[in-house]
Amino acid sequence: MAWFRFRRFSIRLLALLLGLLCVTLATTYSLVSSANDASAREHARASLELGARLFETAIRQRIDLSSVTSSLMSADDAIKQVLLETPIDTKTLNSTLASYTQRVGAPAITLFDLERNLLGNTRPDLIDETEGPFAYLIRRASEREMPENNGFSYLGKSRDLHALVVAPLYAPYPNIAYWFGLAFPIDRAFAEKLKETSRIEVTFVSTEDIAHPRVLATTLPDASAKIVADAVALGRRTRAQLTDLVLPDVPAKALATEGDHYVTLVKTHDMVAEDPISIVLQIPLGPELAAARDLESFLIVVSAAALAAAAILALLIARGVSQPVQQLAAHTHVIARGDYKTRLALDRADELGQLADAMNAMSVGLAERDRVRDLLDKNVSPEVAAQLIRDGAALGGQEREVTILFADLRGFTTLSEKLPPTDLLALLNRYLDRMSTAIEAHGGVIDKFIGDGIMALFGAPVAQGDAADRALAAALAMERALADLNRELAAEGRPPLGIGVGVNTARVVAGNIGSHRRLNYSVIGDGVNVAARIESETRKPEHRTNLITSAATLAALRDPEKIFPRLLGKVYVKGRAESVEIFAVAAG
Amino acid sequence: MRPLAFVCICAAISLRASATDVAFRLVDAVGAPVADAVVSLVALDAPAKISPPAEPLEIAQNGQEFSTFVTPLVVGTTVNFPNEDKVSHQVYSLSPAKKFVFPLYKPGTRGTVTFDQPGVVALGCNIHDWMRAYIVVLGTPLFGKSARDGTATITAVAPGFYRAEVWHPRLGKNETREISLAASDITARTESFTLALKPDRRIHRSPEGSGGGYK
Ligand SMILES: [Cu+2]
Repeated sequence: MAWFRFRRFSIRLLALLLGLLCVTLATTYSLVSSANDASAREHARASLELGARLFETAIRQRIDLSSVTSSLMSADDAIKQVLLETPIDTKTLNSTLASYTQRVGAPAITLFDLERNLLGNTRPDLIDETEGPFAYLIRRASEREMPENNGFSYLGKSRDLHALVVAPLYAPYPNIAYWFGLAFPIDRAFAEKLKETSRIEVTFVSTEDIAHPRVLATTLPDASAKIVADAVALGRRTRAQLTDLVLPDVPAKALATEGDHYVTLVKTHDMVAEDPISIVLQIPLGPELAAARDLESFLIVVSAAALAAAAILALLIARGVSQPVQQLAAHTHVIARGDYKTRLALDRADELGQLADAMNAMSVGLAERDRVRDLLDKNVSPEVAAQLIRDGAALGGQEREVTILFADLRGFTTLSEKLPPTDLLALLNRYLDRMSTAIEAHGGVIDKFIGDGIMALFGAPVAQGDAADRALAAALAMERALADLNRELAAEGRPPLGIGVGVNTARVVAGNIGSHRRLNYSVIGDGVNVAARIESETRKPEHRTNLITSAATLAALRDPEKIFPRLLGKVYVKGRAESVEIFAVAAG
Repeated sequence: MRPLAFVCICAAISLRASATDVAFRLVDAVGAPVADAVVSLVALDAPAKISPPAEPLEIAQNGQEFSTFVTPLVVGTTVNFPNEDKVSHQVYSLSPAKKFVFPLYKPGTRGTVTFDQPGVVALGCNIHDWMRAYIVVLGTPLFGKSARDGTATITAVAPGFYRAEVWHPRLGKNETREISLAASDITARTESFTLALKPDRRIHRSPEGSGGGYK
């Protein structure tokens, strides 16, 4: 049972230590991890913003290129020759423009007059109307005095996304005679080129039909692009006035084989008289987090090591505590068996060491008590016991001067007739208890109770230089104790008790008296009889006292100032030739 | 910020017997006079009779520039373009009012064009990008061109209703105002027009050896 408890204590300590450490480590880990995550996301987002600018720059470059192209075309003699004709030969114009597409690498070139009529067109499959997106851009450019204008539009039957640029044909500068219109497809090739420089995934999404978002161009696999498009559509549906949207990470599996999350940024771009298109820029979080993940792995290893160390330490501490506690517990069993000689040796300065010392002291105390009991077969006050043990006692029989006190209860016989036996005994014990206390308080040893009488010794078994003083002081204390008891009895509605005390000092023989089975330390001698005889004198009313002592006691007083004796006379003791002078005693 | 200029037209009208001189004063926003603006009066009562000059006008090419920047004239006027330069020119127009080109012509030769439709004709040269001139072909004989001090005067205008028109290369649209000239008007009137001019964009002539560019 005890073993089990101690085990439990160590387990509890282990659990507590490991638990605390686990919480600390887990908190640290999660803080570090989330900080890493946040910074990776921050970094990814910054990259995306940069990517967005890169995209703008790429578009801008296309537009600038178109401007340069236009000005070159504008300065070209050939097209002016064609345009000088009235009416203009459309076939020749178209073939001129077609030759420009070869020269400048623009996929589609158109020409409009100042009234925005479509005069020439290299791609009738893409551009077939006069009041189309080009005309819109030209009108806006004319109204706003812009040197050129650009925008996005869907062209052709399949409505592919194109970047459009309109630039004037000056004749001469700054007099605008015609407008060129150039179109560039925003297709996978364009997106891939963007990805080449930035490692950012780009997806262009049309939400013209919000229920069926359309992927216009993407660097992602088609299935992934579809997820992105749906997310964009959802974002636009749920929030009106949407300009930028930060998508939640799309589950990685759908997006890439790397199995990673993508930080996503959505920019919208105005279209020519259509719903804006969404440009979705995405960057995988994995590579951003790679360094952080290494750090976190290292942190886990360190944490595991710390936990192991803590576990070992906790077990050691637990054992350090439980082992001495087990020793202490075992030692209590030793004491319980009555072995007061064995000492518990715990070489510790802590509380457990103090406990062991206390237990050893208890063993010493118990051993002494036993020894006194063995010696005297009497209960003595601890003071006397200590003195007895310190000085040793000649128990084998010794003549020595002893002051003997006899006390007798008055009126007990009458009382015993009135009270039932149980009450009587209780009252008697109560009386004896008070008297014993008073005697022991003054260093007396109760020799025996004789019915309701008490015989006590002063100066034996331990010699006391002031035995007579002590005996008389004890006798006076007994009177006071009885007065106290009487007040209590009066309160209980009982008649008061009376007492008679006789004290005599004499040389007697002290020692263990009895059979070999039962020895009893006591005194024998004439002086004992004298003490009893003196006590009996207190019954005489003419003496008017409860406390009588002999001249021998008065002579033995070390401090006679405190005692005021009153001579009562002489008494004869049976078997004794000399009479004994007796005195009534009162406190000074 | 593109500078805004305003043309203020002050028409000072003075009566002389049955005809009045109409003076225009053209000022931009900051009060600077505006030169090379074409002012004209279009009669609203009865169309004025147009009689193109018998002798052709002349816009010469000299020092790789046109001799005149702005030339107002009436429909039917013929203009000669003599090359008085040291280099060849290839003057052209792609303006709807008159499209033409003089294939590369050497110094000492000339091109000739008759402007038979009203409208503005922007002249350029395929050899020299900075060369630029305007011919404003008008359907009214009442016109003038502002001088450096920003004034232009149309003399001997008969009483009646007119539409005053102002054209300038840097105006997006002609500025117009209807005015009434009564026979009893004997005192000159002053009227003000406020017009926005586009920024002055032009190709700066390249120094020898280096390329030119738009500005
Ligand atoms: Cu020239």
